[in-house]
Amino acid sequence: MSTRTITLQVNGKTVTAAVEPRLHLADFLRDRQLLTGTHIGCEHGVCGACTLEIDGAPARSCITYAATCDGASVRTIEDFDADPVMAELRAAFSAEHALQCGYCTPGMLATARDIVLRLPQADEARIRKELSGNLCRCTGYVGIVRAIKRVLAARKEKTHAA
Amino acid sequence: MEGKSGKGVGASLLRKEDERHLRGRGEFVGDIQRPGMLEAAFVRSPVAHARIKGIEKPAGFEDRVFTMDDLADVKAIRAVTAIKGFKPSDMWPLARGKVRHVGEPIAVCVAATRAEAEDIAAQVYVDFEELPAVVDMVEARTSPPSLVHEEWGDNVFLETLVDDDFTAVRARAPIKLRRHVRTARQSMAPMEGRGVLCEWNTRLGQLEMYSSAQMPHINRSGLSECLGLDQGAIRVIAPDVGGGFGYKGILLSEEICLAWLSRRLGRPVRWLEDRREQLVASTNCREHDYDITIYAERDGRLIGIDCDATVDSGAYSLYPFSACLEGAQVASILPGPYKMEHFRCHTWSACTNKPPILPYRGVARTGVCFALELMMDAVAREAGMEPYEVRLANLVLPSEMPYDNITKKHFDSGDYPEAVRKAVAAIDLPKWRARQKAGEADGRRIGVGLSVYCEQGAHGTSVYSGWGIPMVPGHEQCFARLSPDGVLELRIGAQSHGQSMETTFAQVANEILGVDPDKVRLIHGDTALTPYSTGTWGSRCAVMSGGAVATAAREIAQRVKKIAGKLMEVAVEDLVLEDGKVKVAGTDKQMTLAEVAHVWYRAPQRLPADVDPGGLEATVGYKPQRDTGTFSYACHAVVVAVDPEIGHTEILDYVIVEDGGTLINPMVVDGQIYGGTAQGIGTALYEEMNYDGEGQPLASTLADYMPPDRPKCPNRASST
Repeated sequence: MSTRTITLQVNGKTVTAAVEPRLHLADFLRDRQLLTGTHIGCEHGVCGACTLEIDGAPARSCITYAATCDGASVRTIEDFDADPVMAELRAAFSAEHALQCGYCTPGMLATARDIVLRLPQADEARIRKELSGNLCRCTGYVGIVRAIKRVLAARKEKTHAA
Repeated sequence: MEGKSGKGVGASLLRKEDERHLRGRGEFVGDIQRPGMLEAAFVRSPVAHARIKGIEKPAGFEDRVFTMDDLADVKAIRAVTAIKGFKPSDMWPLARGKVRHVGEPIAVCVAATRAEAEDIAAQVYVDFEELPAVVDMVEARTSPPSLVHEEWGDNVFLETLVDDDFTAVRARAPIKLRRHVRTARQSMAPMEGRGVLCEWNTRLGQLEMYSSAQMPHINRSGLSECLGLDQGAIRVIAPDVGGGFGYKGILLSEEICLAWLSRRLGRPVRWLEDRREQLVASTNCREHDYDITIYAERDGRLIGIDCDATVDSGAYSLYPFSACLEGAQVASILPGPYKMEHFRCHTWSACTNKPPILPYRGVARTGVCFALELMMDAVAREAGMEPYEVRLANLVLPSEMPYDNITKKHFDSGDYPEAVRKAVAAIDLPKWRARQKAGEADGRRIGVGLSVYCEQGAHGTSVYSGWGIPMVPGHEQCFARLSPDGVLELRIGAQSHGQSMETTFAQVANEILGVDPDKVRLIHGDTALTPYSTGTWGSRCAVMSGGAVATAAREIAQRVKKIAGKLMEVAVEDLVLEDGKVKVAGTDKQMTLAEVAHVWYRAPQRLPADVDPGGLEATVGYKPQRDTGTFSYACHAVVVAVDPEIGHTEILDYVIVEDGGTLINPMVVDGQIYGGTAQGIGTALYEEMNYDGEGQPLASTLADYMPPDRPKCPNRASST
């Protein structure tokens, strides 16, 4: 099968690769770049497990072709170790028991981070609506919603204090 | 118990598992690659029932495509039960002669990538002679359109009867109600599907299999039986597993095929189940049919239950749970937590042209509870009572505990009525009754639901030996080692995939040994590193593996004390273990666990000659004093608003009162309850694996099979 050469930023590094047009971004990252933190749940854009960041916005890597990412900047869960928002989310997810098996977690965190940054005033109903594209089979979502609320509340308090 | 560190039993300790998962650094089967690895794709049946007239491999790819003829030395999967009348099914890893459900594997193809393997699979030509599909479970046994396994003469794996004489009851019962209740076929749908990676290790002469599995030791035994290898020649490793819920408690055809391929090809081979394969080709669960009659007194007290129950077991009997566990369990648990004088239950485990079934979170419990609690509501209406009053009139009382119910279940303890009273109070029943009376401005109807159950966990030998399936549980072992640096290593044969055992068992060890949970490493899910176990299923691990951990920790505690006693020249009885130290009670004399361990392993010259050479590592077993299982219990109460025109249902409030006994980690227990409840909401309102008249699945993506997403789960969920 013919290939196309793409050049993109993956977690801040420039990557050039020849990819088949049918290769989706999640497989490209996992199998070719060995970034296995991006999980694949359904490969039809429903479950949200593969959510990551493309050019600063959350996106589903299972329904994004790698070939369309030429020139794009992609960030996976592995790149957020030093990210302050993600650090708050990690602590809150642990404190609120927002994960059990951990499979949906990287995608869930990608969406959660977007909520925290984009919707600082989000209430519980809004959080739930925003997260409706990420499935979790273990937790019943109780801990996940509480974790995001906790981070939003702490950030609000910090803003007031400042 | 020794040690009050605040990190032991009863502490909501944050999880040790979280760190790796929150950084995307867990390791699931799909994350593992091996040099030279091939990927596999399966050719699966597009029809529900057909004879295979021929299989043509695509030209040029003959050495990449394998059928059952190629796997001629492999045995069929046979999960037989000892119950009289059970008809065994041969489940060939790749179809032989016939296909019996859509998705059944027919051939396996290998290539450098999954995409290329799928390309080859798409070119394999299979000639089918289609047969009428057996789709409805009741029709399957009463007027079968065809026979799934022709040699049987019918479509029934097993028929059982718990008999009783209802002649007098029928004549005298003031309340007699009959209902027909069905539950939908479901998929457990863990977020991670199955995945298998096999590599043949020529140095060890050993198959190394990574599998997303709940019961790796059982998989190993099953592989040994089908492949003709001794069990030592097989190592099964279940790494991080992305949810199980019963779906991964099975020996897979795909595991056998990949094991065979890796040896034959001399290359590692990986197969990762995709979501369509999970939903349509692998296992389903929970499809029950109840023709149930309940007899009661005017005051709501039950006289008896008479039920004909059919379970759709699908096309094959799966290893190790078999096709009859679900049906046998229906007859065994249908009386629920209630007292009654008469019970009759006739069950059929029907064979259909649908994927086989596995137990899903509470073997048969969900269907049974649904059928029984609907009947309790019907009795309440007939008797003119509140539904909770009918429950209270029939529940086993705390003063009657322990109580052997009508099917000989040994309810160990509990206050079932108090759970109901608490739930009714917490949901504020009078408020909702008043609102129902007033009516809703938007035309919706308010409904209040109540459900009580007790749930058997830690199943013991006596129950399972009666069923005689390929695996009977009984005891559990733990290997414990206090390492030279004072770190405690625990090895168990179960597998933790969300249950948080890495944390909770560290708490158990802390309670006994005083070792900090951060200094406890739990190794699980690897047959080469852990004691044999039937694995993680049936709400058993906290009791059984936890019991083994506690027993092993006590053994290590005694050994530590013996060595420390010699070193500090005090009697063993004067020593206490806390804060990672061995302390001499009433003095400030102490040694750290690391110091004691160091002397044992690295400086034995400091020990007297008569020291016990048993050392600081041991495999110790646990067997409960009674093997009839534990019985936790709960009452759930829910308020919903239903749009009577379109059926849209909104959950307005949800209350759970659950007594799980001593909680090792209350946060973890609450998490299990919330998650189970969300799955229950999915069962009640959203999830259904539908099949058309030809046995074609109508839900093959997560867009049409709908596990509940966040807006569908309640905002307020409180557990007590």
